[in-house]
Amino acid sequence: MLKRIEQSPPLTLLVVAAAFFVYGYSTSLFKITDFIIFTIFVLGFDMAYGQMGKLSFGHMLYYGAGSYGAGLCAIHVYPDPFLAILAGMIFGAALGLILGPVLVKLKGAAFALSNLAFNQLGYFLVLVPFAPVTGGEDGISLSFNSYGFIDFSDFNFRFYFYLACLLGVVFLYQRFTRAPYGIFLRATKENEIRVRFLGYNTQVFKVVTFVISTTLSGLAGALNALNLQFTNTSLIDPTRSVEVIFAALMGGAGNVLGAVMGGMAFMTIRQYLADYLVRWEMFLGIALLFIAFKLRKGLYGVLAKG
Amino acid sequence: MLQSIFYGLTIGGILYITSIGLSLTFGAMRIVNFAHGMVYSVGAYGLYYLSHSLGLPFLVAALGSLLLAIPLSYVIERLVIRRLYGQSIDYAIVATYAVLLIGVDAIKWIFGPNPLPISDPVGISLNLGFLEMPVYRLIIIGLSFLIFVGLSIFFKKTIVGKIVVAGLQDREAVRSLGINIDRYFAIVFVLGSALAALGGVLYAPLSTVQPYMGFQVLVLTFAVVIVGGMGNFRGTAIAAFSLGLIIALTGRIWGPAAEAMVFVVMAVVLIIRPIEV
Repeated sequence: MLKRIEQSPPLTLLVVAAAFFVYGYSTSLFKITDFIIFTIFVLGFDMAYGQMGKLSFGHMLYYGAGSYGAGLCAIHVYPDPFLAILAGMIFGAALGLILGPVLVKLKGAAFALSNLAFNQLGYFLVLVPFAPVTGGEDGISLSFNSYGFIDFSDFNFRFYFYLACLLGVVFLYQRFTRAPYGIFLRATKENEIRVRFLGYNTQVFKVVTFVISTTLSGLAGALNALNLQFTNTSLIDPTRSVEVIFAALMGGAGNVLGAVMGGMAFMTIRQYLADYLVRWEMFLGIALLFIAFKLRKGLYGVLAKG
Repeated sequence: MLQSIFYGLTIGGILYITSIGLSLTFGAMRIVNFAHGMVYSVGAYGLYYLSHSLGLPFLVAALGSLLLAIPLSYVIERLVIRRLYGQSIDYAIVATYAVLLIGVDAIKWIFGPNPLPISDPVGISLNLGFLEMPVYRLIIIGLSFLIFVGLSIFFKKTIVGKIVVAGLQDREAVRSLGINIDRYFAIVFVLGSALAALGGVLYAPLSTVQPYMGFQVLVLTFAVVIVGGMGNFRGTAIAAFSLGLIIALTGRIWGPAAEAMVFVVMAVVLIIRPIEV
């Protein structure tokens, strides 16, 4: 059944929207906005991992870039929320454009670790040299203009706006993976040399995919900055990069529903189980081991088969 | 200036000792071993427990924590690493990172999240007027050179070392000679892990021990391995000492940037000479 939903884009949008509506109204809209942001981040990460087969160990860098882009724009340019979101996406895209051409040439471990190193570097830059601008460890608190009902301090509005963003991302993700572009990407993932042999410039496509991934991560970061009304260094902390990897793997890499399920499941665990799980990192570790050995296709793989 | 170079050599020595195992596992098994950082912290915490909580002399405690690392790394090899041979490297990264997370949390559980101090076991400094050299740091530099020489002999002269070197170049050819190469790689893995624990033991008295120390050193050792070339013994040594010097000299000019500089170097190396893994 899952497969059938996944194959029809309107049905996917409907199911994702319904899932978040039901979950939001049965728990609290305030909390679910966090879930939505994280799901967008997972989709961004999955663009690089699921579609291109490159596991990044430093995706928090692009997320953080989005947060700081939004925050700095609100403080130094104009406190318009939409301008801030755009700035966050531009920051994410710019970082992807600068680092992408070098990074996408790397494979496997080298790609993962280089991302981690750049993330460390970014974390350091935000924490120390740019501290007068970014506020260092304390971060900066933000406020945004509101126009009538468009008020980002109201969580009802945030929920609907973020859900619309998520649906937009899901829609675009599916358009991308269904287009010849997506087929081309998967072909590159399988065997890059053959695709090059057919006369395609794989480097350009890989950079484009990487930039899409970093832009989506930047969008998630910017939305989070608007949600929290502040930014600080925890939004770019490299040790947190494992969270998005965990979510993407748990849901099942390479398709929208998997990413959405992974995002929701991870946030559910963190929201509701974390209070009972005193040893959070140990739980995360054991769960990751289980996924790496027994659950490689993720929740989507298990549910789609049954 | 001389002081900074001296400190840089100390850091380089520790980085070298810690990186060998990582470089070997990478070269031999094509597995990125994040669990390496855990063994490093276990070395440091083992030292803390044996010397401070049980009150054993430093040398005994150091040896004890090395001995502790051997069965631990064997278990990791048996239960996690061995199941990842020849599979997608992504799962190796995820699984060994999971081991690191479990280890970090276990340490926090047992010893608490706060940094713990370990005092300098020698406590004497050689004062040359223009340069003050704590004897403990001299011992670290000496030990790292000894290990470098020892490993060179090990890989050139002993049969185990020769098999490993041959296996690094062509695994299948060695196997076709009827040699169980996996067993030799397991020996190398345990050896490398014991050296990582030694790195942790040596570093602990220079600073404090804290649960995330493994994570911090891991990123640095990866930089060493990438700069020096994976599975390249001499390259690892050169990279470790150069990066140690870079850390110390940058730290002299602008303290906070010391470790960030390592990643700049690593990025430059990656751009000039991309690695195929």
